[in-house]
Amino acid sequence: MSQEREPTVIAKTVTRTVVPIIAVTAVALLIQGHNLPGGGFIAGVLTATAFVLMYVIYGIETVRRDLVTRSEGYGLLSGPTESYERTFAVGLALAVASGVAAMFFEVPFLTQAVVFLEGVPLYGTLEYASALAFDLGVYFVVVGSLLTILAVVGKE
Amino acid sequence: MQPDAGVLVAALALPFVAAPLVPVLFRVLGQRVAFFAATVAAGSFGLLATQYGAHGAVQLPWIPSLGVTLTLYVDGLALLIGFLASGVGVLVFTYSYGYMAHEHGHVKYYATLLAFMGSMLGVAFAADLLALFVFWELTSVTSFLLIGHHQREADSQYAARKSMLITVAGGLFMLAGFLVLAFASGDTAAGRTFVLIGTSDSLIANGEAVREALRAAGLFVPALALVAVGAVTKSAQAPFHVWLPNAMEAPTPVSAFLHSATMVKAGVYLVGRFRPLFVPDLPAVPEWTLLLATLGLVSMTITAILAVGATDIKELLAYSTASHLGLIIAGYGLAGAEALELGAETGAFHIFNHAVFKATLFLVAGIVAHEAHTRKISELGGLRKDLPIVAGITGIAALGMAGVPPFNGFWSKELLFETTYYVATANGGWFWLYPAIAVFGSVFTFLYSLKFLSLFFGDRPEALADVDVHRPPLSMLAPPALLAGIAIVAGVVPQVAIDAIVQSAFEASVPVGVEAHSLKLSIPKLFSFTPYLGMSLLTIALGAVAYPFYDRLHAGVRRARAVPYTSPNRYYDSLTEGANDVSRRVAIAVHGGAFRTYAAPLLLATATIALAGYAAAGTISVEGVGALPSAPLALVLGVAVVGALAVARAPSHIAGVLTLSILGFMVAIVYILANAPDLALTQLVIETLVLVIFLLVLDKLPAYYGEIRSRARTVADAALASLVGFTVFATVIIATSAQPDGPIFEYFLARAGVPAEHGPVFADYGGGSNVVNVILVDFRAFDTLGEISVVAMAALSVLTLIGMRAQTDAGVENPEVTEGEEGAAVADGGTPDGSSAGDRNGGDAR
Repeated sequence: MSQEREPTVIAKTVTRTVVPIIAVTAVALLIQGHNLPGGGFIAGVLTATAFVLMYVIYGIETVRRDLVTRSEGYGLLSGPTESYERTFAVGLALAVASGVAAMFFEVPFLTQAVVFLEGVPLYGTLEYASALAFDLGVYFVVVGSLLTILAVVGKE
Repeated sequence: MQPDAGVLVAALALPFVAAPLVPVLFRVLGQRVAFFAATVAAGSFGLLATQYGAHGAVQLPWIPSLGVTLTLYVDGLALLIGFLASGVGVLVFTYSYGYMAHEHGHVKYYATLLAFMGSMLGVAFAADLLALFVFWELTSVTSFLLIGHHQREADSQYAARKSMLITVAGGLFMLAGFLVLAFASGDTAAGRTFVLIGTSDSLIANGEAVREALRAAGLFVPALALVAVGAVTKSAQAPFHVWLPNAMEAPTPVSAFLHSATMVKAGVYLVGRFRPLFVPDLPAVPEWTLLLATLGLVSMTITAILAVGATDIKELLAYSTASHLGLIIAGYGLAGAEALELGAETGAFHIFNHAVFKATLFLVAGIVAHEAHTRKISELGGLRKDLPIVAGITGIAALGMAGVPPFNGFWSKELLFETTYYVATANGGWFWLYPAIAVFGSVFTFLYSLKFLSLFFGDRPEALADVDVHRPPLSMLAPPALLAGIAIVAGVVPQVAIDAIVQSAFEASVPVGVEAHSLKLSIPKLFSFTPYLGMSLLTIALGAVAYPFYDRLHAGVRRARAVPYTSPNRYYDSLTEGANDVSRRVAIAVHGGAFRTYAAPLLLATATIALAGYAAAGTISVEGVGALPSAPLALVLGVAVVGALAVARAPSHIAGVLTLSILGFMVAIVYILANAPDLALTQLVIETLVLVIFLLVLDKLPAYYGEIRSRARTVADAALASLVGFTVFATVIIATSAQPDGPIFEYFLARAGVPAEHGPVFADYGGGSNVVNVILVDFRAFDTLGEISVVAMAALSVLTLIGMRAQTDAGVENPEVTEGEEGAAVADGGTPDGSSAGDRNGGDAR
């Protein structure tokens, strides 16, 4: 990846348009995952590709400056990597916490439940599966880990 | 009285719960966190005190699905060790407040010390072998951290490693012994059990049957030896005593704790605990005695002699600890009709006495080192004028250690003499060596005890002349003073200590079926002469005669120690250094550095093992192989095959990766054709991502892609590739041809969705129409949790690996390499295939 060559305007413009669409698609995949194709893992990988696209077209510096503005940290952990690292730590914690939460209801670790909420505005009846919290954890772990690897390898 | 399970668990859990609180409380309390730790120890002590007089086992479910329970057992011996660990713990924490004032790492110190105390309590009260082993190794791990407290100093590192290697290695032998015992118990009527004591089907309750089963299998002596190795390594018996003198690198309060009430006491506790299992209620002398009593007495003598050769006060005390533990092991080791009770009395009483006087002496040594700024025996003397109270305390403890009546150590040593005398008179012959060695070793004990006491008498040496020796702070003086008070009571009226705890402690080590008599000791008894009283007097007389020649003995011991062939230290050092060499050589042989050299053996081994497994199980069938794919599928697969061939012929990394991704995308289409949208989506996105990652790392790889130099190499690679391909093919065929009864997917399909009738909340159905996702996050969520942990772990490893390399680069090579790369990049800047010579060199240079 030689970054000396400037990407074309077309590539930049397309990226600008496509990245938000990818991000929204990823979130949609995450939320609909319980009933339609999708889920935390796919959504995570898709989100990572959105970042990858930005890396490839705009370069690592732009992402660091405009998107993940975190400057403290040490060495390799400085800049975005630290945020990514936190992301997967949070994800893992979330997944475990969602499992532990089940134990407070005296059911085994990681038992999931489904709740039907009545009278929610706009939706009417809304189905909420506790698995969504777990899936969110999966999502964060995947996003965080992939971006960590990409950022570290890319920085090399 | 039955023990209370709740109280017992609370007493054990308290130190472990408190340990993680130390960092938080340190911010609030600062160094006064020592008193928090002391309070915790006092809490454990208080909780255990409520169980005083209790006897029996409590069982708590641990892993109910595997039938594993946590069995705790309370009797006199467990309480003795428990009281010592928590009681001396209170004093050590209090003392640490003064001693550690100018040291570093308080948080680590107090947290680890609390966990150490908790582990020791666990060792004392665990009744099943697995829990005992876990706590046992926990003491090794925590003591490793404590001995290595000054973690940047080479001596501390060496000492910590040494204690860890020796005691953990011993612990593994012990674990093997435990397994032998558990398996042997499987042949008895009671059935296989890991419970040592306390229940009706425990090992000790069925001791007779277990011993017979062991003998029938020829495993009695091996089991005994394996358990004994664990005990003697922990208790620093010759030739494993070498770790103990090094362990004085630890801060002195740790040494006091480690030498008196914890760690080394775990070993003797184990001997006392296993005594009823291995010792039959028979008049003959068992293997137990031949092994342990001999080892204990020899160890006691050797280390007492080594203590005379010590130049440092802590070193002297360290060797003396090994020596007194030898006495305890010898006591427990002596058996046979005359010694069944006496031996146990010796062991239990000396555990108590030694803990009291040795903790005192170490705390005194800490005061001396702290106030006089030296630990060299030759530079110390005449401290009586500056430290009068400490001198009095030392007198009580040191005379106890010497075995002078009426100080506490005398009584238990007298019991040892009595035991050896009776064993010798009953068996005659070589057994007379036991009392002889006991007296011989005790002479040296007497000598070094007086030497320690002499630090406070005589004139001040020149080295000390201009040192201003302060009185120690109260928090450092009170603990040894209290211990000395206990020592003097136990010395003048031994019956107090016996009635309080020692009687019930020794009963725990008497073989099942022997009625324990009550032990009676008092000063008036000394006025009727007995042969063993004669042995005590002989020891003191010989010691007094030899004391004027102490310096000559000291020099002689030092000369003898310098002989390399008899020094266990030398064997330890050459063994560890040799292991370093071997591992370096193995690493070079296995870890060549070129990725290709790893791939071939790895793939070959995987394929061979998998195929051999299939062949052995006879599962390879050809059913359904002949079915023709549909036209679209055939087309997609055809493209994939073309892509695969193109990969093999690609001229460069970039072309190879791009054509490889053709293969990946075709697989995604196969998924779509097979109605698996989830898989197809994942495959597509992953394929894209992998492509980018590949491209990112490509220009770091060496550029000899596709250059295969010899025909033989080509053929070998092709053969390997075909083999791997065939393995995958066979795996797919076998995996898909399985036809289990009642396949699990029916359950998944039935349970994944929303049931026809349901309330607002339910947990027994998945509630989602995407079965794949419901499986991932609900039915098999535990698997997914494992997988995301692996993903996170992978990210961490990449971070660590590259971070480590970045550090080494930044340290030495980086300046030149970056310059070279930058120069090359500028030169190549405009050319179309940018990653040429410069990058290649950069890549190779790494």
